[in-house]
Amino acid sequence: MTTQESNDDRIALLQGTLDLLILKTLVMGPCHGQGVARLIQRQSEEVFFVDHGSLYLALQRLEEKKWIRARWGVSENNRKARFYSLTAQGREQLVEKISQWRKLARAMGLVLDNPRGDEV
Amino acid sequence: MFRRRRSAEDFAAEIKAHLELEADELKHEGLNEQQAHTQARREFGNVTAAQERFYLKGRFVYLDKLWRDVRFGWRGLRQSPGFAVTAILTLALGVGANTAVFSVMNAVLLRSLPVSDPQRVVYVKTSGAPRHANNSGDWETSLSYPVYDALRRQKSVLSDVMAYVPLSDDKVGVRIGAQPEEAEADMVSGNFFSGLGVRLARGRTFTAQDEADHAAIAVISHNYWRARFSRDPEVLGKMLYVKGVPVTIVGVAAAGFEGVEPGHSTDFWIPLQNRAELNAWGEPPEDGKLYEQRPTWWCLRMLARLAPGVSREQAAVRLQGTFQAATYVGIGSPMQGEKPPQLSFAEAASFPGSDAAKPLHILMAMVVLVLLIALTNVVMLLVARNAARQREFSLRMALGARHGELLRQLLTESLLLVTVGGALAWGFAEVATRTLGLWAHIDSSLSPDTTVLLFTLSILLLAAVLFGLAPFRVATAGGASMALKTSAATSGTDAGKTRGGQIVVAAQMALCVVLLVGAGLLIRTMRNLELIPLGMRTEGLVVFGVDPQRTHTAPEQVAFYQELLRRLRALPGVEGATVMNSRIGSGWSSNNTAAVDGKKVEPTSGAESNMQRSNEVGSDFFGTLGVPILMGREFSDADTAAAPKVAVVSELFAQRFLPHQDPLGHHVAGMFKGEDMVIVGVVKNNKYTSMQEDPIPMVWYDYAQARLVGAMHVELRVLGDPMAILPAARKVVAQMDPDVPLTQPILQRKQFENTISQELMFARLAGFFGLLAVVLVATGLYGTLSYRVNTRTAEIGVRMAVGARRGQVLWMILKGSLLLTAVGVVVGIPLAMLVGHALESSLYGVHPLDGTSYFLAMAGLAVVALAASAVPALRAASVDPLRALRTE
Repeated sequence: MTTQESNDDRIALLQGTLDLLILKTLVMGPCHGQGVARLIQRQSEEVFFVDHGSLYLALQRLEEKKWIRARWGVSENNRKARFYSLTAQGREQLVEKISQWRKLARAMGLVLDNPRGDEV
Repeated sequence: MFRRRRSAEDFAAEIKAHLELEADELKHEGLNEQQAHTQARREFGNVTAAQERFYLKGRFVYLDKLWRDVRFGWRGLRQSPGFAVTAILTLALGVGANTAVFSVMNAVLLRSLPVSDPQRVVYVKTSGAPRHANNSGDWETSLSYPVYDALRRQKSVLSDVMAYVPLSDDKVGVRIGAQPEEAEADMVSGNFFSGLGVRLARGRTFTAQDEADHAAIAVISHNYWRARFSRDPEVLGKMLYVKGVPVTIVGVAAAGFEGVEPGHSTDFWIPLQNRAELNAWGEPPEDGKLYEQRPTWWCLRMLARLAPGVSREQAAVRLQGTFQAATYVGIGSPMQGEKPPQLSFAEAASFPGSDAAKPLHILMAMVVLVLLIALTNVVMLLVARNAARQREFSLRMALGARHGELLRQLLTESLLLVTVGGALAWGFAEVATRTLGLWAHIDSSLSPDTTVLLFTLSILLLAAVLFGLAPFRVATAGGASMALKTSAATSGTDAGKTRGGQIVVAAQMALCVVLLVGAGLLIRTMRNLELIPLGMRTEGLVVFGVDPQRTHTAPEQVAFYQELLRRLRALPGVEGATVMNSRIGSGWSSNNTAAVDGKKVEPTSGAESNMQRSNEVGSDFFGTLGVPILMGREFSDADTAAAPKVAVVSELFAQRFLPHQDPLGHHVAGMFKGEDMVIVGVVKNNKYTSMQEDPIPMVWYDYAQARLVGAMHVELRVLGDPMAILPAARKVVAQMDPDVPLTQPILQRKQFENTISQELMFARLAGFFGLLAVVLVATGLYGTLSYRVNTRTAEIGVRMAVGARRGQVLWMILKGSLLLTAVGVVVGIPLAMLVGHALESSLYGVHPLDGTSYFLAMAGLAVVALAASAVPALRAASVDPLRALRTE
């Protein structure tokens, strides 16, 4: 669709990583969409850029998979907001995805750190 | 669609909440109200896109879009109902007529005899019967019992020979319940079903033993089982009283098998019989002899199955000797100079050339032309309509619609048209097929067949794509920028585009000329046929058959008919009643060589110049029919078997065989050998077998003086509605014999018209197609012209602004269409002449180059062209130059 201009050093999220980040964020407790976006950006030291449209669609997708559930509630500053929380199924998924991600990251590291790889 | 758990509104509320939360936080970080909101929105990105993605998520996007397109297309069509109705009706008529005619063609020409291995089944044919013999049925297909007996022994050439013969020349009286009915029935050899390889749906077939025993059993057709017995599973073992003779049903033939004669559907079959009631053709036995014992009576029809490896020609050569020996068994040696009959075999795989084949071919050609006109018409209508919508498309492209979306929408619109048109076409085809089927005398319930359906559907599908794509180029030619440049001059047509349209219109006009000339020739033929003088007053005449079953000898039969006539004449409203042996107008006739004063007439010119036709009729025959008596008298009740034998001859008979003398008192030959009759009257010529027959010398005998009397046809002259007399007549007959039905009651006029029904129907259909073509061409022309006028509004405005008068503008537009008409006529006339020649054999009293038909076709086309152009031309001439220029 529309292309985002990236004139800073923020990185667009890899396909599939957004789900993992959302699940991880919700481990700390129920949170609304805006909070999730802020948390991801803050915790990644502003490296990850979260496209908000994609975030809400991802939340919707996870909700439909029954990994998270949602309820309208009231925020600390008295705003109406939709709060998301992890389900038992979501926790299981989180554990699995974390181990998958670690494997992937390790494999990526092995390949990238290999000195002979640079010669190609 | 399916149920969604979450609404789009809820999603929108969440996004709104997000923006507020974000703004709160930004304010907290030090931004002011305004900045915070702007920043929150910017951070979020495209809100609408997110909502749209949410909306699309989890739907069958394609179906959803399709549904929207369909609704959109439907609205579009409803906005221009004139266009939609024209296009849909055009499609329905064009495609429907096409389906119907092709379905019937399929049934008549391509359907093969439903037997096993039909390639090896043949009809047995002869060049004729020996001179000493006589025949019933067609000259070429009637054979004698000794021939059957001889051929069936030649197993090495013909593995099976199946004989069959109708129980009546029309229908036979049958009683199943209390009321007598009529049915079509054949007597057949024992191997009829096994030899043909026709399976039975129920029960058993006949065997050679059944034929030898003349078993009183019957196999009924599937159709009869369905129609008469409502598929009663208990039908086996039921009784049929065939002319009073009890016959047990032992089988039901497989569906689809309705006998072996084209255009007939046999209701039931019984093995060959040997009883007087069930003689071949319903004839009374002659000298107590049935068909089996009379080698001079050629009455059997035969089919054969060729032995493996034997061709039709080989079989004919190998059996010629056997055949010719058998032809003279019991007849005596050939007369001097007599050529013995020749045996031949005709293919049975397809029913032998039905009479309807040729007209159907012509109809098919007409219908293809109509379909062609219809399809091009719809394409042109769509092109014109979409060109007029060019600005709309352009605007939509400017608003972000992609080419693909426009294309999809165009395709959806044309698919809509084709779907609705196709559904209507199917309904139309259903009705038309049945009508045509009746006309082609295919009694079996005919419906549009599936191959034709698939064929037409693929045409429709092709048309849908074509219709969708054809306007696309024009529609998108403007591009997105055109909406901004609102000049009519730039959106106008370049010459090439309209030239294509003009060529199509001219071609349509040429086709239209062809169809109109064809229709004109056939309609004039129909008029000529309808106006043929019959030589009698048919108004008020009704005819029906009666075949008494309890009387057998000639005197008993005559007594029966005399009593019947006496009672019928006593009915209120009956002005006259008589009987006849061959029903007039049915095609049946007795033909002999004429003899005058004991001498056979020698042929003067042509083989048939000494032929006469004869009929046996009752008293008051000519009076009832309304045939004028020129000399002498007609038959009366006084002409009994004991009285001197009398005959009445036609005017032509007297002129040809007794020229320049008083025919009264001269002698003519009777129906049977050695009989001698005195001419007591001469009547005006009148039609006998059909409306189209050439005049042939006629002799009438009094049936009461005949040696044999069989089934007769009763003619009644009635005041008021002739058909209304039938219940009373039925009651009279039932009082005399409860087993006797009135067979095939019909108005006498209708009976005669049946002999030209094919021509009438053909002409009506041709007229219909001609009219259809004219209407289609008119709509096509109107569509293209109004499109062109539309695109030239600005030009016309300019012309008028610089001084062109209304008349000049009007003429400019009309000139264009007259030019197209002229081109169409110039191309169409030679084509029409070709068609006229192809039609020649179907014409009656009209020359294929009949000037009136050609002139009317041209004039008709010109009128239609002018009428179709008048509306757009007037609109063009009334263009307000200021307004036209303001649209620039």
